[in-house]
Amino acid sequence: MNRMRSFFRVLTLLSLSATALAQDPRAIIKEAQDRAKSTSQRYEGTLKVVDGTNKVTEKRWNFERIGSHGNSKSMLRFSAPAEVKGVALLVVNHPDRSSDQWMWTPAIGRERRIALQDRSQRFFGTDFSFEDLEERDTDQFDYRLLGEEAFEGADCWKIESKPRQGKVSQYTHSHVWVRKDNYVVVQIENFKKGELIRRAKYTNIQRVQNIWTAHNVEMFDADRKSRTILSIEKLQYNLPMKDENFTIQAMRREP
Amino acid sequence: MPVLLLWMLLQSFTQRGFVETQGIVYPQEAVNDDAHVIGEAQLRYEAFYKPWSSFQLAGALDLRSDTHHQTERELRLDWDDRGRQRPMLSMQRLSAQYHHGGLTIEAGKQLVRWGRTDIVNPTDRFAPRDFMTVVDNEFLGIHAVRGTYERGSNTIDVIWSPRLTPSRIPLLNQRWFIPPPGVPAFELERDVPEGSQSGVRWSHVGSVEFAAAFYSGFDNLPSFQVTPGNPVVRETYPELRMFGGDIGVPLPLVSIKAEAAYFQSPDHSSDSYVLYVVQLERQTGEWFFVGGYGGEAITEHGTQSADFNPVRGLTRTILARAGYTIDTNRSVAFETAVRENFDGLWAKAEYSQAFGQHWRLTTGFTLIRGKATDFLGQYNRNSHAVLTVRYSF
Repeated sequence: MNRMRSFFRVLTLLSLSATALAQDPRAIIKEAQDRAKSTSQRYEGTLKVVDGTNKVTEKRWNFERIGSHGNSKSMLRFSAPAEVKGVALLVVNHPDRSSDQWMWTPAIGRERRIALQDRSQRFFGTDFSFEDLEERDTDQFDYRLLGEEAFEGADCWKIESKPRQGKVSQYTHSHVWVRKDNYVVVQIENFKKGELIRRAKYTNIQRVQNIWTAHNVEMFDADRKSRTILSIEKLQYNLPMKDENFTIQAMRREP
Repeated sequence: MPVLLLWMLLQSFTQRGFVETQGIVYPQEAVNDDAHVIGEAQLRYEAFYKPWSSFQLAGALDLRSDTHHQTERELRLDWDDRGRQRPMLSMQRLSAQYHHGGLTIEAGKQLVRWGRTDIVNPTDRFAPRDFMTVVDNEFLGIHAVRGTYERGSNTIDVIWSPRLTPSRIPLLNQRWFIPPPGVPAFELERDVPEGSQSGVRWSHVGSVEFAAAFYSGFDNLPSFQVTPGNPVVRETYPELRMFGGDIGVPLPLVSIKAEAAYFQSPDHSSDSYVLYVVQLERQTGEWFFVGGYGGEAITEHGTQSADFNPVRGLTRTILARAGYTIDTNRSVAFETAVRENFDGLWAKAEYSQAFGQHWRLTTGFTLIRGKATDFLGQYNRNSHAVLTVRYSF
């Protein structure tokens, strides 16, 4: 009988804490980030850029990241098409401010810093802006729970995020859909003063090394009516990586 | 086993390159060149082999030809790229690179770029260029040992090159060489120094980026010594010391970039002077803008009779560049340089379009106007249209 009582007490506590978590949008986002946490990540990405007239252009990049949300470094290097092979982007994310970004173009042998005011630009003909390629840290945003909503058959929390003062962003606010069953972010709509600028849709969610990960990301540019579909292949987490391979020199070093 | 070895080799081998053909049309005849159309073809093949994560071999080979004898007709492998004409087959890069921690060492033939600004880079001292077509130039590789140490936000870059690779200047019988008026026919006798050159650059990355650089060696651009009555003009490469620096400041609306250098000729055979560039940069929508001013102040006149210096030739000048991305495959670009006294103007408009994964077509027109006494203006008969087709692989 006592065992039964203890079991119900634990169940009640769990359900109360889940309710409390559900009412705190920051805690939901934090939980989503914690569940996706890894010390490093590597994947090969294929990008299909579909413009407003449905013309398709294909690009490929290799992506590596060391560290985790808010305190990470990532290197992205194009492998196709042939004329951009070797073009690289280094992103250094900071917990307390916007990321630093540099782009390396082998043809001219120079790296260029991507200034904060230029982060709203499209990244190399894709529908991702430079800002979209940085990692969002929970502490740089304020959150508000907008409600609960089904997204493609899955129950989700719909949360509004607004960049805090000091965080430079092209977006005034975003709507984030987080699945209730596995805390995976499935959609982000980014707005500028009420107008939709970009929508990122995360699909083909699979569990890789115990981390639920979307293998398709579709970024829609509302102004240009174009979209870029990023398909993730050969995804691996928690690989041994060295900090020295995420610097400006490392970016220049590689072919 | 051999299959495994081949698989391992392929895992660490990457390559890229392009085949390019170019047609250049000059509507006007030049004083020393009546050709209106020039055709050029180039194959560049680059390969990288990385047997270990800390070691890499890099090579790049150029095979080229043209219809105007700017390229040699003899097929031999040129390691130096120091000739008057472009070599038919040249090793643009062949280097071994090792890195450990923050230290990277690269030895062999390589491209070295210093500086921060666009169009004109006063501190870019290890980057000789092919100025065969003065306004459409390309960089030449140099033989060097380069050590780079990066720690935190600071990087030290030390370079030693055993000998000078001079910039390639226009051929005497072609339109980009402008014969001085009234001067009888002459021959050029080349005197390329054999001494080494070295330099060091310290750069800092932060909210503001800056660098300081020092160079000691020779100018890769020639000075000319004329002896009255002697039909031979000596082409020399004076000793040169450079003290310079650059800075990049991102502001809320624009980024400011500046670069300046003081050039001193220890043997006083060429001018001592300061070159500086200040530019503003901004991207908005699909547009990219750069606008700036390049200036020069001569502190001491040298003993040279004349020189060929496109870097100085683009100073005392307002420089601007704009680019617009039409869509994923198409873009247009505009560049201009206007001398502050309006004695020279260079303006270029270019349209570029990619087709599929490999092909790109670029077409453009370059307008040059001005007085014969001005560096830019002297090429006022060399306005031209260009059509380039490139296949990248």
